[in-house]
Amino acid sequence: MTGSMVTRLATRTLGRNVRRTILSVLGIAVGCAVALFMTAFMRAGMELRVRAIAQSGFGHLRLAPAGWEESRDEDLRLTDWRAALAAARQAPGVAVAAPHARTTGLLAFGTEVMGAQVLGVDPEAEAGYNRLIRSLAQGRYLQPGERGAVVVGRTMATRLDVELDDPLMLTVVGAGGDMEYAMLRIVGIAETGSREIDAGICHVTIEEAMALTGRDGVAEITIAVEDAAALDEVARGLAAQVPPGNQVLTWREVIPEQGGDARSDRAFMNMLVGIVMVMVVLGVTSAQLTAMLERRREFAVLLALGMRGIQVLRLVALEAVTLGAVGAAAGLVLALPLVYHTATTGINFAEMMGGEMAIGGVLFDPVFYADMGWWMVPQALVLSLVSALVASVYPALYALRTNPTSALSLRP
Amino acid sequence: MSEALVEVTEAHRDFDTGKVVVRALRGLNLTVCEGDFLALVGPSGSGKTTLLNLIGALDTATDGQVVVFGQDLAALSRRARADLRLGSLGFVFQAYNLVPVLTARENVEFVLELQGVGSERRGRALESLTDLSLADLADRRPSEMSGGQQQRVAVARAVASRPRLVLADEPTANLDSENSEALLQMMRRLRDEQGMTFVFSTHDPLVVSYATRVVSLRDGLVIDDQKGSTTAELA
Repeated sequence: MTGSMVTRLATRTLGRNVRRTILSVLGIAVGCAVALFMTAFMRAGMELRVRAIAQSGFGHLRLAPAGWEESRDEDLRLTDWRAALAAARQAPGVAVAAPHARTTGLLAFGTEVMGAQVLGVDPEAEAGYNRLIRSLAQGRYLQPGERGAVVVGRTMATRLDVELDDPLMLTVVGAGGDMEYAMLRIVGIAETGSREIDAGICHVTIEEAMALTGRDGVAEITIAVEDAAALDEVARGLAAQVPPGNQVLTWREVIPEQGGDARSDRAFMNMLVGIVMVMVVLGVTSAQLTAMLERRREFAVLLALGMRGIQVLRLVALEAVTLGAVGAAAGLVLALPLVYHTATTGINFAEMMGGEMAIGGVLFDPVFYADMGWWMVPQALVLSLVSALVASVYPALYALRTNPTSALSLRP
Repeated sequence: MSEALVEVTEAHRDFDTGKVVVRALRGLNLTVCEGDFLALVGPSGSGKTTLLNLIGALDTATDGQVVVFGQDLAALSRRARADLRLGSLGFVFQAYNLVPVLTARENVEFVLELQGVGSERRGRALESLTDLSLADLADRRPSEMSGGQQQRVAVARAVASRPRLVLADEPTANLDSENSEALLQMMRRLRDEQGMTFVFSTHDPLVVSYATRVVSLRDGLVIDDQKGSTTAELA
């Protein structure tokens, strides 16, 4: 029962000046709604980024030869890659493990020649996670164990002036240092929407790559996990099972520039949220301080009657909490339609991105979504309550400094 | 002889306004005894409110000593002074100063809650209002009461915790004579039946007529102190 009068006073205080209360609640609600929308966008953006990275051929994790992270040497090979692949495919939480053999070579058609990094793939595994497979504009993707076939990107096809079914001559340096040649028929042309990515697509089967280079080995095993949120946990489990001489890297280590971008995006968004909330705090502080000025006599009387400083602070804090709770509810009401629309329909940035939807070799979906979920409720409460409480600090101290002697001299 | 509740000895209170120092009390001496119904009278600026502030532990003397219930107020911490006000003193203000968003009962209950009274505070608040014939106003907010009714509720709030000493700053200043009379009768009844001691600052002859003791102040000093059981005796 103790405290109920203070609570009653705190809640009823909201009704004293309805217009000011509505404005304060609206200030908190709008700030809260903006912050929720930004956070929803940021959360989904992070998920989309990780998914885009994984589906652009990088996977969530990569099994790489020890030392690859430092040297980035594509000639390094995994130790006992078959055992490593088997371990990866059996590891809990792994959805797909796709081995990649890499070699650099020259592609030629008639008088047109261009350098390319040739990627040897397991077509079945690749289809399980790589969105490139879904972006074939012409033809088909590779078949398991297929020889003499290649899939190239549209930009590469244009530069070489080739079409579907045209033959391409591939020249690579073999294991013994000799030049090795192969005639490959174009079975598919990929068109991802990014000229940058399309210029680098040259897929053959892993068997073709090994036969051509004369080297039995793969440069990496790209891994897509079932739940991206459990990525680090899967990485730790996998690291314990792979043969020595190999290492497990996360996408942040494979493409650190994307990790940096994600961090700076988050920092920027947090800064914007912070600015919005600071503006809300200043607005609410101003309104609350005006309320305290109007109630100066009341606080003087309460202090004269024996109310302690801590009880004054508690009263003002309770008023702030009430204001914050109402503001949180209003903020959710304001944010929900916007977040719902963005979560279901998304915002299409295709035009804004000028058709190029790749950043650093990662193919991004031009439609961005927001993440809508129960997380919004505690977030709204925390944002609103904290901002309301912070906004009440100065007014509370002002109330606390009220001289109770003025209660005896103030006239109505 | 009645027990001395308040002993003010050579009390000085100076207010430094920055340009001049206003000497509100200049070595004032006063003893308030249990059962007094004491009116502090004097012109504006004579030191009545300043003296009430000192006795009420709302302010401290620049020099001299103020002892209330045997405690030297200068030696008490801010919190101890708040506890003294809460536990042993009642205040009635000129401007009623009820909390506007609380009903009459809740205004009384609020003070009891501050005192740490638990579940029985609602009953005690109603009892206090009933004692002062205010039960029918219990659920009204201040804005729904007349000035006289508000001031009576303010008295109920002041006496709900059964303080030994009630300080009232011009309690009838905003009331008509009928309401003033009713208020004074009520306070006299509290004094007679419950042994409370009252100290008023006032300009109102009606308050003076009810007082058992009239202390006149001028320029921060007591210039006259008349005692008697009624004003008729004082005269």
